[in-house]
Amino acid sequence: MLIPLIFLTNCSGVKQLSIFKEEVKRQELNLEKPSPLQLEQIKWIIITSENADEVFKKMEEQGLDPVLFGLTDNDYQLIAKNFAQIRNQLKITNDILDKYKEYYEPKEKNND
Amino acid sequence: MRLIFIGIIITSLLGAGAYVLKLQRDNVILKENAVKLESAISEQKTLIENQKKDFAEILEANKKINALVNNLKKDLDDLDKRFTKKDRDIGKLAIERTKVIERIINKGSENAKRCIEIASGSPLTEEEKNATKKSEINPECPSIANPAYIPY
Repeated sequence: MLIPLIFLTNCSGVKQLSIFKEEVKRQELNLEKPSPLQLEQIKWIIITSENADEVFKKMEEQGLDPVLFGLTDNDYQLIAKNFAQIRNQLKITNDILDKYKEYYEPKEKNND
Repeated sequence: MRLIFIGIIITSLLGAGAYVLKLQRDNVILKENAVKLESAISEQKTLIENQKKDFAEILEANKKINALVNNLKKDLDDLDKRFTKKDRDIGKLAIERTKVIERIINKGSENAKRCIEIASGSPLTEEEKNATKKSEINPECPSIANPAYIPY
């Protein structure tokens, strides 16, 4: 009589609560940012029907091949705008990359 | 009969004792559970706080990128205006004042080159950082080259 009673009182009861926690931190990518560009300076020469001879003569005097790769004034404007667009895209992409790095790999975490 | 009665009383007492012991054990477990639940609630609160911070950070980052896009668009519009301002024809100007336009174009090209370098991550020089006057700025991309400059 005693044994069943003890069994009964122990079988039903409060169960211990278990909370499982597993935190696996993702390895940081840590890719090096590309080095900033260092571009070469180019020189524009404006050539008109009036100064053409003078320009070519000067080029020969400077030891340059008397040849020019030309653009019309309209195309010059277009190339300037194209470069400005490339520059803007580069800046935006770079800043977005920085923001992602700041967000996912903030400095406080790196110092931990 | 008497023995049976005594047996029942002893069994009852033992049962009661065992039940009290079980209650005590349950009580300990319940207390532990309560502590765990409180800790879980606290962790959830921290998680929610962190999520709020993340949302604020995301909003701020979006705001900054949008501001940058708008500023860069303005730089591009300004470039377009410089070519076409007051029906300006750069071709005609180049015929009339060849040397002057050549100098202006070469200066503009030098500035544009620097803009690309900055856009690719080159650090700003002190001069660029401190420029506040029109004569001091890089007119090709003041929004990224001259942070202290306020257009006037």
